[in-house]
Amino acid sequence: MSQTGQHWETIIGLETHVQLRTKSKMFCGCSTAFGAPPNTQVCPVCLGLPGALPAANGAAIGLAVRGALAFGCTVHPRSIFARKNYFYPDLPKGYQISQFDQPLATQGTLSFVSPERGAVTATIVRLHLEEDAGKSIHDRFPKATAVDLNRSGVPLIEIVSGPDLRSPAEARAYLQTLKQLLEYIGISDCDMEKGSLRVDANVSVRRVGETVLNTRTEVKNINAFSFVEKALTVERDRQIALVESGGSVTQQTMLYDSKENTVRPQRSKEESHDYRYFPEPDLPPLILTPEFVAEQQSELPELPGQKRERFMAQYALSREHATVLTASRAVADYFENVVRAPAEPQAAANWVMTEALADAKDHQEQLRVAPGALAQIIALVKGGTLSNQAAKRVFGEVAAKGGDPRTVAESLGLVQVADTNVLSGWVTDVLGAHPTEVARYKNGEVKLMPFFLGQVMRASKGKADPKLAQRVLEEKLSA
Amino acid sequence: MSDAKAVADRLVKAKRLNALLTPPKDLRKSLLAQAAAARPTGVLYGMPIAVKDNICTLEFTTSCGSRILEGYQSPFEATAISKLKAAGALIAGKTNCDEFAMGSSTEHSAYGRVVHPLDKSRVPGGSSGGSAALVAAGAVPAALGSDTGGSVRQPASFCGVVGIKPTYGRVSRYGLVAFGSSLDQIGVFGRSVHDAARVLSVISGRDSRDSTCEDRDPLRLPTVPESLQGFVIGLPREYFPPELDPAVRRACDRAIRMMKELGAAVREVSLPHTAYAVPTYYVIAPAEASSNLARYDGVRYGPRFDGSADIRALYRATRGQGFGAEVRRRILIGTYVLSAGYYDAYYRKAQQMRALIAQDFRNAFDRGVDLLFTPTVPSPAFKAGEKLNDPISMYMSDIFTVTANLAGLPAISLPIGRVKGLPIGGQLIGQAFLEDEMIEAAYALERVVPATDEA
Amino acid sequence: MSVSREDVLRIAQLAELDVAEEGLPELAEQMSRILDYVAQLSGVPASDNLKPYVPGPDAIRFRSDEVAPTPLAFGPAVFAPAFKEGFFVVPKLGQFE
Repeated sequence: MSQTGQHWETIIGLETHVQLRTKSKMFCGCSTAFGAPPNTQVCPVCLGLPGALPAANGAAIGLAVRGALAFGCTVHPRSIFARKNYFYPDLPKGYQISQFDQPLATQGTLSFVSPERGAVTATIVRLHLEEDAGKSIHDRFPKATAVDLNRSGVPLIEIVSGPDLRSPAEARAYLQTLKQLLEYIGISDCDMEKGSLRVDANVSVRRVGETVLNTRTEVKNINAFSFVEKALTVERDRQIALVESGGSVTQQTMLYDSKENTVRPQRSKEESHDYRYFPEPDLPPLILTPEFVAEQQSELPELPGQKRERFMAQYALSREHATVLTASRAVADYFENVVRAPAEPQAAANWVMTEALADAKDHQEQLRVAPGALAQIIALVKGGTLSNQAAKRVFGEVAAKGGDPRTVAESLGLVQVADTNVLSGWVTDVLGAHPTEVARYKNGEVKLMPFFLGQVMRASKGKADPKLAQRVLEEKLSA
Repeated sequence: MSDAKAVADRLVKAKRLNALLTPPKDLRKSLLAQAAAARPTGVLYGMPIAVKDNICTLEFTTSCGSRILEGYQSPFEATAISKLKAAGALIAGKTNCDEFAMGSSTEHSAYGRVVHPLDKSRVPGGSSGGSAALVAAGAVPAALGSDTGGSVRQPASFCGVVGIKPTYGRVSRYGLVAFGSSLDQIGVFGRSVHDAARVLSVISGRDSRDSTCEDRDPLRLPTVPESLQGFVIGLPREYFPPELDPAVRRACDRAIRMMKELGAAVREVSLPHTAYAVPTYYVIAPAEASSNLARYDGVRYGPRFDGSADIRALYRATRGQGFGAEVRRRILIGTYVLSAGYYDAYYRKAQQMRALIAQDFRNAFDRGVDLLFTPTVPSPAFKAGEKLNDPISMYMSDIFTVTANLAGLPAISLPIGRVKGLPIGGQLIGQAFLEDEMIEAAYALERVVPATDEA
Repeated sequence: MSVSREDVLRIAQLAELDVAEEGLPELAEQMSRILDYVAQLSGVPASDNLKPYVPGPDAIRFRSDEVAPTPLAFGPAVFAPAFKEGFFVVPKLGQFE
């Protein structure tokens, strides 16, 4: 709700460009490796030299098909590459080889959890293949632009959603889910910092209750995940303020400025976006045989949604816990390896979600404790050899230095004492040292039990098995 | 084996033609080095072959007859050139041509027009005029050109030499500077059918770098046949209209008579959509060209024309001044027919018309015809300057040649007579990938037709 | 149909080509004549189902995903009109981002 009390609805659609994980470029054999010195991974084709011609990368086509299948798209057996014509210094041929009216795939879906609306299914209108442009760097030389064509020709898929997202936060959730899905199936690194995942947004607003879609703007230059929600919020607010003050939204491209957290129009002398698409005459039609598509299907791993449902059923986990454990393939596989070691699923889930993930967060997402070792720690707690606290310490040690959990526990002197004789000794000492409290307890103040227990733990320097100690205390106090 | 020095001398002697763009000094130096390195076991060992300047070579610059690529040295060579060198041939310099292969007279070169070897007031044809002239003048036995709408066959006809355009996809286009991507093929000029066919055979065959090149073995040359017994030659009536120059008609009639005498069956056929071929071509070719020439922007190679203000100024100055008038005109036409609102009416319509034209040929061949015979051009070489002010008149000289490019079919022009001393060519159009039949018939006709006699 | 001076300027802008003011009327006239000439295609009946014809192979060939770049006889530093610290250099985009 805005300041005037109007109820506004935000309509957002996202266009996501994802770099495919191939060794060579889309239309030539140059390397796609990130970080090489400028203009060293180039050839006649990706430089746009006179006489060069494209030759399509089969692996890129396969990965694109896998992406399309993961979204449940209709994969078209026949699609056409097309030229998108425009002039820009990092677009060497003066056109980009892309796909236009006969794309690789259409009509898929992506289900995700919206912070406001719960489960949402967005439409994937289309998914198509194209080549990336090079990089223009505007601040390296004064009054000039530096162009690096290493990136020119890297394979991309463009994923276009319908205008199905209803808030900046929702857009973020959609993007997060999309990223997770593509990482799962291994077709891209999806790293916004490295530019292997880029997003542009289409934003419009309307009053709640309206059914027509109003003029939308395009928001570009959203360079990090954390900027997605901010940029869209800023644009939405701008549009609402504009309309409320009597103005109207003009169709234009807005660029996000992360330093100022603002958007400003991309100024250009002419807004001519006439790309003059026509079928690429240097490439025959892209024909996908049923065998090829079936092969891509068989290469798909279990998708996150499927895995989550299975975890809930197989390991009796709540939806929330299953969601955390399937957030990445690495974590999901780790959890299952712990269970297989063997370990009791509930305990494994708890340990992975708390200790393992916390440790990973501080150590470049590495799950440092081997699944077998974590399973042993869990067993030591279950068997009473370690208290929970002690086990966490052992976990930390094994994470940092490795080693066998039991040996580590022993060397740290953390092995719990479950010997009733020794326990009796401590209990007797404690009860002897606090006669007043004993009397009060025997008089009915059973709330003093934790006090006695605490004292026994102190006396034992934390080594007493608390459950057993409590039993011994109860025995002696009832005597 | 030609003496490298002698080859250079012959080429330099033909200076007056303005057909060779390579400076004599560079030519001599390179030929000596190439001769020393040439493979003696190659089938074209020592054969000097001049190359149209829109085909990338490592030995010489590639300017495409344009200012916008003046002095451009390509860092890679065309597949066709690699194949020639592997066969022991010598790359005997780069030849003058209409800028970016757009033209029918070689008057649209930024480096001056090429002169017809027999009459200096006339054009040699285009766009591969330089290559045709050098072969006609005897400076080289063979030369490469490119044929998008007739740019090898028409100059071959004007200059009195053999010119072959292969089936689309027979010869790799990798390294041929693109003009009309779905129409372009590298073609060959020769003094004889045999010379041209030998060279074509070497440059043909699969190339993984060109996605439009068919995965086939190189062309196998047929033997010279005893007769044309068993051949059915079709004469498309639309190529022999009433208004055809009577001398050209006489030359064709003579050639047809000779083919009959050799045992060929001759019958009239119809290719009903022929009248639409030139307009169809002049939508598709400029459209593809407008996109293919977008890369000439002064950013990565070639000269920059002043436009230091900003990048758009650089583009506009470089392209406005670097391209000649004909190229600019075609880029504008091409941009127009692809632009929003016009795409369906022009480009899409033309591609549909192309399907009808291709179907015409398939129908004729399906009815038992092996080859078609037509005049190559409606008239002999015209005078320089005659058609410069009338682009459409210039375009009309392609009327008999554009159909083979639109349908992707192979075609050959060979000299069949003279009209007032000027050569005139007859064209055989073959079926896709059946160049051998076409060459066979050409061998037979060549042997008997009095190519230097007045028609 | 006629191509106006403004049409020519608009198309020239799309094609990033300078056209001299003096040459505009003649260019507009030539373009009009050429476009009128090719417009005769619109008179030919052709059903919308008629598929366009493009010669060449029926299907794209798949290249294997190997790092095997075409070797360049020399790098961009040699043929680039302006090259500095490994980058192509162009004048700034001015009003563009």
